Amino acid sequence: MHGSGEYVKGKNYTASELMAITTCKEFKDWEVAFVGIGIPLVAGILAKRLHAPNLIIVYESGSIGPEKLRVDFNVGDSSAADGALCLTSEWHVFGDLQCGYYDIGVLGGAQIDRYGNLNTTAIFGEGDYHRPKVRLPGSGGGNDIGSSVGRVVIMMRLEKHRFVEKVDFITTPGFLDGSPGARKRVGLLGGGPAAVVTSKGVFRFRPETGEMYLHTIYPGVDVEEIRQSVGWDLIVSEDLKVVADPFDTELSALRSADPANLILGGAESRKHLSGYDQFVDLTLKHAVK
Amino acid sequence: MVNEVAKGGDSLSSSSKANKLMTLKEAVSSYVKDGSSITFGGFIGRDCLAAVHEIIRQGVKDLLVIDDSKTDVIDMLVGAGCVRRWEGAYAGYGSIGLANNVRRAVERGIPFSVEMEDWSNAAVSMRFLAGGLNLPFMATRSMLGSDMIKYNSRIKVIDDPYSGTPVALVPAARPDVAIIHAQKADPMGNAQIWGFTGNDENKARAAKHTIITCEEIITTEQVRSQGNLTLIPFYCVDAVVQVPYACFPQSCYGYYAYDVLFCGDYHEMSKTREGFLSWLDRFVYGCKDHAEYCRQVGWKRLESMTRLERQFNRI
Repeated sequence: MHGSGEYVKGKNYTASELMAITTCKEFKDWEVAFVGIGIPLVAGILAKRLHAPNLIIVYESGSIGPEKLRVDFNVGDSSAADGALCLTSEWHVFGDLQCGYYDIGVLGGAQIDRYGNLNTTAIFGEGDYHRPKVRLPGSGGGNDIGSSVGRVVIMMRLEKHRFVEKVDFITTPGFLDGSPGARKRVGLLGGGPAAVVTSKGVFRFRPETGEMYLHTIYPGVDVEEIRQSVGWDLIVSEDLKVVADPFDTELSALRSADPANLILGGAESRKHLSGYDQFVDLTLKHAVK
Repeated sequence: MVNEVAKGGDSLSSSSKANKLMTLKEAVSSYVKDGSSITFGGFIGRDCLAAVHEIIRQGVKDLLVIDDSKTDVIDMLVGAGCVRRWEGAYAGYGSIGLANNVRRAVERGIPFSVEMEDWSNAAVSMRFLAGGLNLPFMATRSMLGSDMIKYNSRIKVIDDPYSGTPVALVPAARPDVAIIHAQKADPMGNAQIWGFTGNDENKARAAKHTIITCEEIITTEQVRSQGNLTLIPFYCVDAVVQVPYACFPQSCYGYYAYDVLFCGDYHEMSKTREGFLSWLDRFVYGCKDHAEYCRQVGWKRLESMTRLERQFNRI
């Protein structure tokens, strides 16, 4: 078993694996990608191992273009610096982002609305910003990436409490209220969200209204099921496509990028590891030389 | 404007200026006081956990932590009741999960309520750059259109007086103390850091007092042979403390890897208040200093992190 949760019914992959493989196709060769840790990073590494060997990954800690032998477990893991083209400071990397050097960024979030505005700060529940139901980590570099990078790909599990009519807190602006020129009016430089890759399908955005629409669904997923998981009246593409099942080569490349299943599998898979020796063995066996 | 930057052991005698070596206990008790504002170097890697443990042992209260992105540093300090206020961008555990102690403090006031002021990482970077340049503020194009501006009145959105387009102004960060872990430093306080460097150069310059902890002490002659590696010059520095494995379970580039399993175990333990307190008893209150912490973790485990770093990092 790889990834978190069960295999998709009748398939040999999990929903999180299909999310990672679908996201990896958003990267193009020679692009510079500002990627957060976790599944987005696995998608970036996967792209480098498949169709985009020259993809340059940038970390906010100040690492540009590492060619790592193993997957990182956090953004400041020393492997994030491994084989880097340039090791520098955080403010320089954010300066380069603001200068427009970075083509694509991948973000996650706890809540998203129809205009792609993201919340990673707090779920208010019955409370408010100061005493929320759930305090989340905050922006980190997410707001900076969403503000200034060329285009943003968002990765989120499709669940009704996440896809909401109104987010409690806009941590990272998407297309704001969807009015024409809304991003430019407030002074944002970047292009904003291009895609939302979920556990059931992929959403894209109408350029004229900034509104999210269902663009692609995964095999075996029903459109009605997706409508039920979204907190607003969802627009579905008239030319709705079904994504193909991943190839075995893609699945094996993905599984070797995260050989101990520590990123895709989370806390559960840590319990299955007998210890560092097993972790080192697995990682060495799959390391890219 | 008065130049307020003067520091770096200004009041020290000449012999103390040449030799700022002290113990971690001395450095923390000299510079980290109840109510201090403080920042930590590193970026979820090269974070000085040893200093965090010592601050907790000394029972420091009411800290204002100003920082970019932190995991253990902020979660442990909050859980131990040392923090009054957080001004920062990220307090969490990446793919491991949320910061359990931060959640308990903010959501339920356990053990104390913590005021949260949200910024982005670029904004915090600009705050320290302003501090390090002795300027009152810097401008950024981040946070525009976000609710950080709605809830944080110190972010001032103005029209750029030259082009007329909106920018966000952020005030300089000038904390009382910065604690920064370096790979190497000399007794004067020239700190050599490699790998990614976060905001360390600016944090050290912006803080009124800077404590450098390091894996190795080198001579000033060795510093001179590779001056490019010196990220922080001696005049920013008040104290130098050699603390090998100070960052464990976080990584120190070139010395040891991140112990994701140890961090995961802490995260599991800290899911309950009782679990966190028993973790503190074992790894912080139960250890009189960092050497005892290393024994408690186990030297074999620490050495395996060094081996892992050497196996994977091509330095």
